[in-house]
Amino acid sequence: MKQTDKVLVANRGEIAMRIVQACAKLGLDFVCVYTDVDHASGHVRLARKMGGDAAAVRISSYRDANELFSVADAAGATAIHPGYGFFAEDFRFARRATERRRKLTFIGPSWSVIRELGDKINTKRLARGLGVPTVPGSDRPIYDEMEAEEIAENLFAFQSEQGVEKPLVLVKASAGGGGMGIEEVHDPDAFRQVFRRIRNYAKRQFGDDGVLVEQRIMNFNHLEVQVVADRHGHVRHFGTRNCSVQSTGHQKRIEVAPGFAPGELKYSFDAARVLEEIKNHSLAIAQAACYDNVGTWEWIVTPKGDPFLMEVNTRIQVENGVSAIIARIGRREGEEVDLIAEQIRLGLGAHLDTEKDAKTGFDQEDIRLEGVGIEYRLIAEDPARGFSPWTGRIERFDFVEEPWLKVHSQVPRDEPYDIPTEYDPNLALAIVWGRTLAEAKERGLGFLDKLVLEGKDSSGGGLKSNVAFLREKTANLLEF
Amino acid sequence: MDIEKRIHGLKTRLDYVRDISGHKDNENVRLLAAKLAEFEERAKALPVHEVAKQFTALEDFFTFVEKKLDRELTPMDKVRIVRHPQRICLRDILENVYDNYTELGGQDEYSIDPSMLIARAYITRRVGGKVYNQPVMVIGQEKGHGQEFRNGGSVKPWGNAKAQHYMKVAQTENIPIHTYIFTPGSYPIEEPPGAAQQIARNLYEMAGLSVPIVACISEGGSGGAEAIGLADARLMLSHGYYSVISPEGAAAIEGRLRQGQRAPAELIEACAKALKITADDNRAMGYVDRVVPEPPLGARPEHYDFFKLLRQEMIRATDSVVLSVRGWNFFRMMALRSGRGDEEKRTEDIYVRWSLSAQARERLIWRRYMKFRRMSRHAYLDPRHYLDKVSGWGREAWWSVSSFFKYDFFKKHQKKFAHAVEEIGAEVQVLKDKVGAPLGKVRGLLGNGRSLDLEKAGKSLTELSCWEGGACGFLNGSGYLSPQARDDRTVTCPRADEHGCLDLWAPELFGDSAGVCAFCGHHFPMESQWYLHNVFDRESVFEFNKRIESGNPLSHEGLAKALEKAKRETGQKCSCLTFEAKVKDVRVVVAMLTANFRGGSVGAAEGEKFIRAADRARKKHYPFLAYVHGTAGIRIQEGVNGVIQMPRCTLAVRRYMEEGGLYVVLYDHNSYAGPVASFLGCSPYQFAVRSANIGFAGPGVIKETTGIDIPPDYHDAHQALSRGHIVAIWDRREIRENLYQALLTMGGRNLYYR
Amino acid sequence: MIDVKALLEEMKASPYTMVEVATPHTGVLSLSLAPGAQVRGPLGSWKEKKGTTLATIERERNVKPIHAPTNGVVESVASDLDTAFVQAATPFCTIRHYLTKAEVLAAILKKALFLFPAPERAKYYFVPEVDKKVRASGSRAVKVRDGMELFIVSRMKRESPLAYSGPAGIIYAVYFGLADNVDAGDPLIGVCPADQLAVIQDVVNRVQAEWEEPEGNG
Repeated sequence: MKQTDKVLVANRGEIAMRIVQACAKLGLDFVCVYTDVDHASGHVRLARKMGGDAAAVRISSYRDANELFSVADAAGATAIHPGYGFFAEDFRFARRATERRRKLTFIGPSWSVIRELGDKINTKRLARGLGVPTVPGSDRPIYDEMEAEEIAENLFAFQSEQGVEKPLVLVKASAGGGGMGIEEVHDPDAFRQVFRRIRNYAKRQFGDDGVLVEQRIMNFNHLEVQVVADRHGHVRHFGTRNCSVQSTGHQKRIEVAPGFAPGELKYSFDAARVLEEIKNHSLAIAQAACYDNVGTWEWIVTPKGDPFLMEVNTRIQVENGVSAIIARIGRREGEEVDLIAEQIRLGLGAHLDTEKDAKTGFDQEDIRLEGVGIEYRLIAEDPARGFSPWTGRIERFDFVEEPWLKVHSQVPRDEPYDIPTEYDPNLALAIVWGRTLAEAKERGLGFLDKLVLEGKDSSGGGLKSNVAFLREKTANLLEF
Repeated sequence: MDIEKRIHGLKTRLDYVRDISGHKDNENVRLLAAKLAEFEERAKALPVHEVAKQFTALEDFFTFVEKKLDRELTPMDKVRIVRHPQRICLRDILENVYDNYTELGGQDEYSIDPSMLIARAYITRRVGGKVYNQPVMVIGQEKGHGQEFRNGGSVKPWGNAKAQHYMKVAQTENIPIHTYIFTPGSYPIEEPPGAAQQIARNLYEMAGLSVPIVACISEGGSGGAEAIGLADARLMLSHGYYSVISPEGAAAIEGRLRQGQRAPAELIEACAKALKITADDNRAMGYVDRVVPEPPLGARPEHYDFFKLLRQEMIRATDSVVLSVRGWNFFRMMALRSGRGDEEKRTEDIYVRWSLSAQARERLIWRRYMKFRRMSRHAYLDPRHYLDKVSGWGREAWWSVSSFFKYDFFKKHQKKFAHAVEEIGAEVQVLKDKVGAPLGKVRGLLGNGRSLDLEKAGKSLTELSCWEGGACGFLNGSGYLSPQARDDRTVTCPRADEHGCLDLWAPELFGDSAGVCAFCGHHFPMESQWYLHNVFDRESVFEFNKRIESGNPLSHEGLAKALEKAKRETGQKCSCLTFEAKVKDVRVVVAMLTANFRGGSVGAAEGEKFIRAADRARKKHYPFLAYVHGTAGIRIQEGVNGVIQMPRCTLAVRRYMEEGGLYVVLYDHNSYAGPVASFLGCSPYQFAVRSANIGFAGPGVIKETTGIDIPPDYHDAHQALSRGHIVAIWDRREIRENLYQALLTMGGRNLYYR
Repeated sequence: MIDVKALLEEMKASPYTMVEVATPHTGVLSLSLAPGAQVRGPLGSWKEKKGTTLATIERERNVKPIHAPTNGVVESVASDLDTAFVQAATPFCTIRHYLTKAEVLAAILKKALFLFPAPERAKYYFVPEVDKKVRASGSRAVKVRDGMELFIVSRMKRESPLAYSGPAGIIYAVYFGLADNVDAGDPLIGVCPADQLAVIQDVVNRVQAEWEEPEGNG
């Protein structure tokens, strides 16, 4: 990392603000981008405040890579931070950044790593090769009907043997994604029909009629392992998170770190061991895949306590703060952990190896995880109506500052704010910390109680938010 | 009174002379005009008998000058002659050449296409006191002395379809076909099935038509002429022209004119000359068999002697075609050969029955194939040593013999054996099941059989399986990098305005995106090499007939240099690459027209290579793929040497298909004109890569010739699909998969058609 | 009842509009025209011929022309932006445009028709059946009535239906484009009740007859 590095912040809202703050902390120059509808967003104000008028450049779209590179060149940026969403997991974007004539450092894993782990089949095969448990079923696209039927048959038998009451098999297009071309089968006799339907759909829709046949796992918990790696082959983890509280559209709403609380709650399986296992497995894969930046390993844990690796998110996650708030790095007394700052530092080439870099490097043993963190995603949406987004003007947004509380938001507290309709209606991330789960939950409820959030839409209707939903879900956090 | 009529006659002749000399300042015309005016002035004062005498002298003078002018006619003058409203037309021929006729498929403007005229006619011969009525099917374009609804003899797709229909009728009735070519070219509209597609269908039909076809060319304009021109005997009127393109069209290309600009007259004259379009030129090059002499300055409806001569020529041509495939022909053939035009009586005096026996029909088609196969051999370069050629023939003969054994002989016996093995296998299985059943029951009772399976099954569900094929097939690792992908820049998709496509980064677009817009799927052009690396199995491409080279048969001024440049830049000898290759282990013979060599235009060398490739595929029993990277049409600078490739290649692919070959055509970029309207368009399995433009004439030409403004997507692959021209549209990234699939589904097990 | 005559007079008094042209995205701008230059909008049966090039903008070594959206005369040019790196949506040129018959008509019709407004800022589409009809035979082939499900509202990746409310009639004008964001309150369609058709036709005729376009405005 050179002090002359300049980071283009290729994102908006809360994450853009966090990146700007991290840059400032690291003494790096930065430039932000924004679109016309975002002109009042917190990240534009912050960029102007900390970097002057030239630090925020208006572009036509966050999704147009050309705009980002154009601004990067014009502003003399040397690195590009994609945040989450947009280009964060786009290996082509990362490749273009590093292979164009004027090269930019992509603050994220190398493009080849993104490509490798971005492919679910590839990841599954990598995991199986290392003996890491994955969802039972095929690990490659199946084209042959006989073969598919055999797998399905075995899956039904396998689940019965495992004592699953209602065995289910999932048939999905291997080239699909986002819930497209996916169907459940509960009757072995119906399998062939479903298989053919999905295969034809896949052929039509994706031009490839490969199909995956897997076990459908019900009532699982969604856990994550936060991995941090440098560009020189060293990997660390920052513990686990539990992201099981989700909206109907499988969107995360509350994240808790660590993933289980075996000290306070009772589980039907050895929860501490499961957490240990998934951390070790995740590191093994990271090491094998030459992972070289921050990333999240997503796991599902069955009610019986079997963990299966789902996928790897090769980016910083929204919920990075909840892992950071329970972590301390032994060599940096008194300093808060900021995973985004770590990401930038490592992305620009810093070492984790303490022998190479005693100041910023750290070993796994240096990372101490204490207490429990809860992150709430405050969103203008109506949980009663299928979480449909609400747009309008936020008139009041305020909360009581506490030492155990962090709020990240692009919504200003001192003036009204119009929610742009073009993007996700996320308003704020609120992260609370407690020594125990009980304390964290109590503080969380306290925060939600005192939160002021008011607004009006164009027809005069009041603001809809998910605060009540978050309150309700707080009661049973981490219970499984 | 009589004199007045005769003066009017002379005035008409004068106007005609003036018309056909065009813009040129002609002192002969002025002289004639002066003489005529002078006479008229003088006649008023002269006594009647003196007027008659002097007038006869004047008429003689007119005739003298006309003859003199006739000797000086330039090619462009001849073009003006055939375009003149006074030029004989098909109706005149029907009236004067045949003894009786009935028009079929419409009358005057009440016709599906008044520019295509079809009649059932007959010729009456009196031989040895007997009267024979010999029926023929007459098919030809009708210009109708300038009748507007005739569209100048420019035939629409459905007009050509009508012709195709009545050709089949003639075949059923076993009567010869006389075609008369009076067309400046086909009407280039793409109404279903499309101008090009319909012409291709006509050519394909004629390539296998088992009745004699005699064609007579007056105005032979490119594709329109070929639509009814694939004949066993081809006559040409001495003042006609037969050309790949109108002189104006050639001049527009030569002069690189934009739409709407006019070419200077001198350039048009020069082009008419350079294209070698006259009857004598075409006779010399071997593209017509005989020239029928016309009266000075061209035949007009009042030239009755000419019709008599034409009648003799048509009869003679039909006779000789028939006799050449008949067993009993010796004396009559000799008589025909010795007959000269002036001994007209003798032709009609010999009777030849025009219907053919089944064997004669077969011979007829073979002779037609050979007739065209022999054409245009002088028009390309084949620098191979003659010993190479001989050994080449030997090799080909060996393929024929070995594939006969492999596919015809063994096949039959092998099938029988295989069937027997299958039957026995099935019997054994039944026996096994019967014996094994009790054992299975015992195992089931003991219960260990199943659980053993379960353990295995569990493992198969949770452990890494074997998988040969990687996720990324060919596209990434083909080892070919497009030069377009080396530039760090972005390009704008041409459809960005409608589809909101963002700019595309060239290294990615021309790298793993294979030139396909990530947003709307628009296909950017890729080099022909890309296909060689991404469609066929790695290192399976084996090129043959590499050394056949495009020549400059008409010694066209600009072509030599342009060819040299193309050869230097591409390293190819002509625009057609022919090679053997494999698609997922399926062997195919491929002829590829590459757009980077002179726009993929087809001349004699390309045609020859194409035919040889089709022959090779036939001899080796391989599927034959015509991969059209792009073609602008026939190479106009080769004149008729180029056009003749349309019937030549069509005959070759017809022969290949009839012997059981699978002929697949795939269009990629712009594919227009002659090749599409013949040997490409006649495949039953034509596919197009998305964003291919397919059609007869480009938008500029359509605007120029028809005045119609066509929408920008007029030639787009989807339109071609709706017209029924092509059968499917493929994404470029999936060519390989789709091609394999096509070969499997259409080719059957041995991938050869039958 | 609207006073067409007065409206026409009003428009005749100021027959121009100013059309501001802005950069489509970031890049280095090169201006090609000076104030006073005559420009024309897209031409051709399918608008396939682009308008006059006002400027070029270069981004990532791709030089892109920016075309005049309409006919008129260049009123002003931001010459200080020439050869400079500009942000997206930066205005750089103003064109003085003489209103065409079609535009005058559209403006007057907006006052004569019943306008159905967008309830919220979102993207709007016709429901599939209506969309098919509009594409095939134009919007005027569609009859609407109160309570009829007419639109799909697309907002934040979610789609919901929207019913029309207002007088029954035919859709005379459509004011939203494909994938355009429409602000709350902006009209979506202009509906002409059946009994008003004659009146509307009269407006059309009046404008056709009375609005004169200068030469070369075509």
